[in-house]
Amino acid sequence: MTVPLPSPRLPRREFLRLTGATIGAAAVAGTGVLSGAVPVAAPKTRRVVLVAFAGGVRSREILDPTIAPNLARLAAAGVVYPETVARNVGHYGAALSIYSGCVEVAGIRENLRGTNPTIFEYVRRGTGIPATQVWLSTTGGEQQVNYAFSDHPRYGSAFGANLVSGEGIFNPEFRGVLEKFGRLPAPDEPREDRLKRLRAAVEPPERVRSVAPNDPESAAAVARYLLDELSAGTSRLTGPGAADAKAFRVGSNVLRIFKPRLLGVSLIQADVAHSSYNDYVEVIRRNDAELGRLIDGIAADPELRETTAVFVLPEFGRDRDLNPRRGLDHGDASEDLLRIALVASGPDFRKGKIVKDAVESIDVCPTIAKIFGVPAESARGKVLKGLLA
Amino acid sequence: MLPPLLLAALPLPGLPGGDGPADARLVRALHLDLLGRTPTRGEWSEALDAPRERLLDRLVGGRSFWQAWFEDELYYFLLIDGFRPTSPAVVEIPELLADGSLTVPEAIHRILLSPNFSGRNPGADTFVTVVLEQCLGMTVQDNPTLLAAGKRMYDGHAVTIFGQSGRGQADVVKIVLEQPAFLRRLAERQWTRLYGALFPREEARRAEERLAADPRAFGEIVREWAGSPAYAERLGRPRAKSPLQLARSLFVDLLDRPPTDEEFRWTRNATRALSDPEPLRAVLSRLLLSSGKAGLPKSAPEDPASWVREQFLRLLAREPSARELRTFVGILSERGSGPSEVIEALVTHPEYGYY
Repeated sequence: MTVPLPSPRLPRREFLRLTGATIGAAAVAGTGVLSGAVPVAAPKTRRVVLVAFAGGVRSREILDPTIAPNLARLAAAGVVYPETVARNVGHYGAALSIYSGCVEVAGIRENLRGTNPTIFEYVRRGTGIPATQVWLSTTGGEQQVNYAFSDHPRYGSAFGANLVSGEGIFNPEFRGVLEKFGRLPAPDEPREDRLKRLRAAVEPPERVRSVAPNDPESAAAVARYLLDELSAGTSRLTGPGAADAKAFRVGSNVLRIFKPRLLGVSLIQADVAHSSYNDYVEVIRRNDAELGRLIDGIAADPELRETTAVFVLPEFGRDRDLNPRRGLDHGDASEDLLRIALVASGPDFRKGKIVKDAVESIDVCPTIAKIFGVPAESARGKVLKGLLA
Repeated sequence: MLPPLLLAALPLPGLPGGDGPADARLVRALHLDLLGRTPTRGEWSEALDAPRERLLDRLVGGRSFWQAWFEDELYYFLLIDGFRPTSPAVVEIPELLADGSLTVPEAIHRILLSPNFSGRNPGADTFVTVVLEQCLGMTVQDNPTLLAAGKRMYDGHAVTIFGQSGRGQADVVKIVLEQPAFLRRLAERQWTRLYGALFPREEARRAEERLAADPRAFGEIVREWAGSPAYAERLGRPRAKSPLQLARSLFVDLLDRPPTDEEFRWTRNATRALSDPEPLRAVLSRLLLSSGKAGLPKSAPEDPASWVREQFLRLLAREPSARELRTFVGILSERGSGPSEVIEALVTHPEYGYY
């Protein structure tokens, strides 16, 4: 569902109040960013983490340091765009718009891939990196898996991200199913060699040509990761917002293990706001805490610290006023709904700046593409101004 | 394993014509498209011995067919996991469809009026939007007046939509399901399941008219589509198995039984949780094969070439090439090698993901 552009913005005084008034003074320990592909524009940046802090989150909560102190920390060390426009107020289409750089119109329960390439496809196709270098960690849900790649004839699955919906796979129930069948045998090198030769011997008919995101080597690395993660603590995360927390946890682990060039983290559980404002705030608090773990993980790793940029934004906000259930819907076309906050921090970005010009959520895709030095040919957004130092 | 006699009788894959016996590719495709999974060994036996008409008689209209249709529809409305309907009126739908005491439109009506559908789509805006989008294929933002009227009706006001007056949530559903576009969309979903392609306009018109005249004709229409030359031709353009088909088929192909409801639910979710399910398939297949429940031969097969050929036919629905056969038999004869490696190599190969 798309909506017209609203007029006014969040007043600067209000924004400063919400963020603690001292942006620029604080330092986020080393959340720089990105790649070597564009030496002039972003020479230090080799990696990007893009967090869709989604589920519908208003600026007044996301920029409140008492609710989201880690986001405030990130904002203080980077650039904030408090006048970011979201033109779509359905979760699926709005989040997809961030990844594709186009305003995507999609039904609430629509479960089809987009037709515009995503940033993951642009980066893989443009740089030639394997799927183990481009990941997307999501909360779950049937639609989110479609974010990994589009149906675009020149892009698609062969250039897709390795998407993992943590809640769908790392849960006690699936572990229980696996445990019913015992344990995997210990790795056996001669056996692996025979399997490799057998698989290589299969000659699929011309009409069956796999276009899976992973080549055999990448697929084996992903399989090893899945096994490790299944036996780690991620499956045991529970409570309100646990699925979002898993998305962050998987993202952090992927970042540590694979050090990917591009990592997306896509959330949704703030949407509990429909029925409870208090639960909504609690989900934001938990997600902010997980964001803090992620940026601390970046700061603790010398390589990541010097090379990684982070972008955080929701897909849209929420209504200005509470509904009769003391919750918050997303359909009133208010500024709270359609003006969101985008925060970006990285080694090549300006520090402690607020850009008051209106930008759009669809600008993130072409900006990341520009950082990687790859074309985002179908994206309709513009490269963010005022970002680079 | 497939019985030796069956192996000898197995026709080579090709485009079937007339009323002759079904070939391996057709048998596997019909099971995947109509039952949502590959055939068990017993079903292979039965299918390949029988004329195609008898195979279609067995597959279309039985309890398993309606169960698979029901599961696909729940998935279409995203009524899964915590939103899966549990009320008897909905749970009994496949049984009632199989014995002919319920029609497909009536089944959808029950699903949309279930508390789980309301829970999945809370509030007037979401409920009415989803009913209009999912049942009629409408783009609601192009019809704001209709959406507003539907929401008022949902909230209990006396309102007219589509020329019919009503009051309340149940009337919204009733009126929407009486629109011709509902029957067309219903048929379209089934066409797409079979063909993976756009619904031809003329075919859509015919299906809509037949269903309007007799809602019980749904099974008959599916049978005609699945038995048509166009369906057989479709097999020349392989499709990727869906996560649901993959999850069920892995259990059938490795354990010779469909997964239990719990196994299916969590394996489907895990498969659906990845943009590339192949790494997970590698983990699952090794686990199932090493579980002692896969019914593998204890020692090397007496006739390795026949055994390898049988596995290609069963898992890839095609004969191995001479070179493939030579390589597989050669590796199978190496010290330490065994049948499980052959099967693991085939089910983890990308080709297994297509049919």
